[in-house]
Amino acid sequence: MHVGASTVLALALALPLPAQFSSRAEEIQAARERKARTLQPDVLAKPERTLLNLKDNKVLERLSAGVGGFRLKLGGLVTGGGFALGPEYLRRDIRDGSFFFRASAQASTRRYQQLEIELGSPGLVRNRLYFDLFAARHDYPAMNYYGPGPDSDKGGRSSFRREGLEFESLVGVRVLPRLSWGVSTAYLTFNTGPGSDRRLISTEQAFTPDRVPGLDHQTDFIRAATFVRYDSRDNPGGPRSGGLYLAQLSSYSDRTLKLHDFQRLDIELQQYLPLFNKRRVFALRGKTAITLNDRPGSVPFYLQPVLGGSDDLRGFRPFRFYDRNLIVLNGEYRWEAFSGLDMALFVDGGKVFAHRSNWNFRNLEGSAGFGLRFNIRNSTFLRTDVGFSHEGFQVWIKFNDVFGGGSGTAASPRVR
Amino acid sequence: MILRRLALLLVALAQVSGAPRFYDDDPIRAEPKPLQVDSALSRKISDYYDFFLNTLGHPGERHKKDHLIPAQGINTLGEVPDGPWYANRHYFKRMSVKELVAGPGNSTPPSMDGQWTVVAAKNEGITPGFTIVDAARRRYIVKFDPSRNPELATSADVISSKFFHALGYHVPENYIVHFPPDQLRIGEETMLTDRLGKQRRMTQRDVTEILLNVPRSSEGTYRAVASLYLPIKPIGPFRYHSTRSDDPNDIVPHEHRRDLRGLNVFCAWLAHDDSRAINTLDGLVTENGVQFVKHFLIDFGSTLGSASNGPNTPRSGPEYLFAWKPAIFQVFTMGLFVPEWARAKYPDIPSVGTFEADVFNAERWVAEYPNPAFSNRLPDDAFWGTRQVMAFTDEEIRAMVRTGEYSDPEAEKYVADCLIKRRDKIGRAFFSKVLPLDRFRVEDGRLAFDDLEVQHGFRESRTHTVQWSRYDNGSGEKTELPGQTTFTLPQPSPAADYLCAVIRGEDARKTVTAYLRVRGGKAEVVGLTRTW
Repeated sequence: MHVGASTVLALALALPLPAQFSSRAEEIQAARERKARTLQPDVLAKPERTLLNLKDNKVLERLSAGVGGFRLKLGGLVTGGGFALGPEYLRRDIRDGSFFFRASAQASTRRYQQLEIELGSPGLVRNRLYFDLFAARHDYPAMNYYGPGPDSDKGGRSSFRREGLEFESLVGVRVLPRLSWGVSTAYLTFNTGPGSDRRLISTEQAFTPDRVPGLDHQTDFIRAATFVRYDSRDNPGGPRSGGLYLAQLSSYSDRTLKLHDFQRLDIELQQYLPLFNKRRVFALRGKTAITLNDRPGSVPFYLQPVLGGSDDLRGFRPFRFYDRNLIVLNGEYRWEAFSGLDMALFVDGGKVFAHRSNWNFRNLEGSAGFGLRFNIRNSTFLRTDVGFSHEGFQVWIKFNDVFGGGSGTAASPRVR
Repeated sequence: MILRRLALLLVALAQVSGAPRFYDDDPIRAEPKPLQVDSALSRKISDYYDFFLNTLGHPGERHKKDHLIPAQGINTLGEVPDGPWYANRHYFKRMSVKELVAGPGNSTPPSMDGQWTVVAAKNEGITPGFTIVDAARRRYIVKFDPSRNPELATSADVISSKFFHALGYHVPENYIVHFPPDQLRIGEETMLTDRLGKQRRMTQRDVTEILLNVPRSSEGTYRAVASLYLPIKPIGPFRYHSTRSDDPNDIVPHEHRRDLRGLNVFCAWLAHDDSRAINTLDGLVTENGVQFVKHFLIDFGSTLGSASNGPNTPRSGPEYLFAWKPAIFQVFTMGLFVPEWARAKYPDIPSVGTFEADVFNAERWVAEYPNPAFSNRLPDDAFWGTRQVMAFTDEEIRAMVRTGEYSDPEAEKYVADCLIKRRDKIGRAFFSKVLPLDRFRVEDGRLAFDDLEVQHGFRESRTHTVQWSRYDNGSGEKTELPGQTTFTLPQPSPAADYLCAVIRGEDARKTVTAYLRVRGGKAEVVGLTRTW
């Protein structure tokens, strides 16, 4: 039990000492006058002032947008490349936002380098049409390679340098608001060489060209592709419902050696099943890459589908498995701990394989683990995953949503 | 503890020195004329700081385990006097339906006799909008609905402004408007601060960009809420704790103001989870020749089922954005414990969003993050608010919801039904925490009152007992009058012209003590205190 509002006490407390008043109004006025003698400007505390200045001066926006289109670009290199940093020039406001232009140069702590230049339009003809012209040069001096196939040995880890140029053009049509179709063509050049990671044996010393196609001679390719994509995710940056269904058929034509022509079909299906007002989500993903040409040695190792890493088999090292075909299945159960953080439990299964006849769900490598997804305004801005497998455990810290990353090949064909 | 002792000491000293508990002007119905405020610093506050301060800290003065701090800023009846914070309206002076739907005013919508001049653009924050000046030179803030939820935020903004006005708060006039794109023209001097904080002249493209992201009708018009500029010189938001150091009239810590503690109940009713400092505004006004600071609630776009930029999260209301205990609990139970609110069912009506009444829990409702005044709410604060919520009849609620101009009759009916159901849940929850007696009066020589739990049909009847005492207004001493246990007023002795009646129901802890002043043979209820 508690004594409730003592009404007179409330006003009496405002007075320094009991005083004789003839009315309540007089008592209140006395309290006001007492305060009037000690008025001070209602200034903000220093931490609040700092936060307010940061917001008012749009410091974060300026840092992220840069000055005159120039800004610092962090990350974005291939997994395992180390911490990457470099200048970027980005203009999204060309012709009132109808076009964008981007150019960047990055180098990482592991001496990976990447140059990119891109001109595109996010939407023309009433947002029905989009296009992209892209060119890149990369130099990754210490890519991991464990040998071909699903039985490669963890202890067989080697490293190789991969350099290359890529010129790509893409045109897409939004047939329906969620459905788009497009075509792309690309010219790709590759060069591989000894890896720079002194801890590891170099790939060309560990493996022979007859086991690892493309190890001794590299070639140039023309890639023609067509894709169809249906996206009904509620928030692509951190989906809680809907799905993403994607299929791409690519044809690689060897322009130099005429040895490595092949076609590949990439299919990816993501489905997000919400429960309890989307506070619990089952995120499912199935992905496959199938090489349609069965001729052995047709796919050079640096263009083979890869498995292992932050986006597929999270209990394995990045680029752990290479082969001509791939299947991966992921399941995540996410639950909201509080607004801004989802927890996740996940299981991954997948395998690479040489022949299409092995397209089945037998002998999958598996991993499982847990993770955190930090989000703001329905988009994941940071995730950490800890994946466990029979080969140990891996800790991943990424600045994107899971399943939003690469397409499963070392060359990462760009699929939109 | 120290405060309590100090308070007791002050009261004791006051009584020793002969200061009465009741003055002749008690209970005051309106605050005394405010002191002149020549200037006050116009300052913004940081919403991030406000979030962190209130989430991780406990600003303001809070109840202690052994000492609850009663509400302040009230008269001897426990009512909030009319003043710069509050005006007693619907519960106290019954408003007609016409007055309720008029709200703070409904006669000055933006003039359609000519174009609106865009004088500023709101291209940041979560909702896009403009500031316009109409042909009558009136200035409005124009805000829109989220693209996937036409009518969601605009209806909520208008409906809630009417309710908060009727509940006694100072709010702006809000109007639903429909206009074609050529209704807007850009002022010649209109500047815009772009995303990077750079000032530049506003162009048609800026207007087009904002309009591209808001719903457009099949006739090519846009629906928006136009909020008339308040006739004040704005000086920034008020906080829900402490006082403004440059306002001499602001003498009651905000976390103890009954009108802010009780606001919790209204916010729960209307799902105003965005009830934080950033959605308030102080401004200098001149009334009766005195300039003073007046306090407003603004921006009701995040009420009902709306979060302004889309439907509200289901977490809104039942839980804070962040709180240690539930977060840790969820982490370690791996989400297997599903809170009741996560099971709430919402209608598939885009203009309604996530508004519901079945899972709504009035007692546990919270804002997005802790609000010091709400955290200090005591049962008598909740009672103060609850009886006002219960004062709205079904018909009045339906009429007020109609001001949201939902194009879908189902939406209008659903929102009104929810408000009615939530109102009743609030009544059931909070009336039972105290002895809910109100409207004390003397009728035919008897002390009369309304038992609001009975009046509103939450229980059939209740037996009340009473014990009369003489009350010495100078010393505060009570002298029980043996045998005086009916509601008929006893005759006071010539020496004591105050009586007090301690009323109980079936629960001995819950009492109401009514103080009566008897002058010239006429008795008047001048004071009320409650225990629970």
